[in-house]
Amino acid sequence: MTAWIADVLIVLGLVVMTLGVYGIVRFPDVYTRLHASSKAAFLGVSILLVATALGGGPSVLARVVLIVGLLAITTPVAAHAIAQAAYHQREPMRAPGAVDERPTKS
Amino acid sequence: MRHQAVFFAGVLWLAVLLAVAVLSIGRARSTAERLVALDVAVIVLMGLLGLSAGGARRSYPLDAALALALLSFVSTLAAARYVGDRRPFEQPEGPGKGEAG
Repeated sequence: MTAWIADVLIVLGLVVMTLGVYGIVRFPDVYTRLHASSKAAFLGVSILLVATALGGGPSVLARVVLIVGLLAITTPVAAHAIAQAAYHQREPMRAPGAVDERPTKS
Repeated sequence: MRHQAVFFAGVLWLAVLLAVAVLSIGRARSTAERLVALDVAVIVLMGLLGLSAGGARRSYPLDAALALALLSFVSTLAAARYVGDRRPFEQPEGPGKGEAG
């Protein structure tokens, strides 16, 4: 029974992961790509690791809990650092409807 | 055995996704885009290690994934701070000098 649940989770995680990588290829600028990398890719790898933990023993479960918790803490921090660096570098916002709130006279 | 086939099919598909992510590192137009693509490539690699651990019913690929998560966080943070204000390891000096915007 748990093996079937693990299969469903693997397919789901692969779909989410594929969407994340497709977002990296397809989105126009850094700020929109960060959405794909920090949300879709993290969610996909979490689902895949949970699927791994369903079939393994306690050692696998402990490592999966550690990795998912670590990623949940570090992924937003890394995404914020990249976004701040890109904004300081004045990366262009190519997404339609993007609003840059920087004052024009800096 | 059929369930293990699902794991290994997932490993193959993630290898394809890893190739796409590495290619998009080369396609990036700026350093920040390259950092984002590198981050995604590392996360895909962690998923690949996780699935191979599940398929082989071993736990040691997960140790590699854990080390990769730690290293990826530190390297992304250092590189982003270097790209941002060229001082990766110091606090900005002076009152209010390092404020965003």
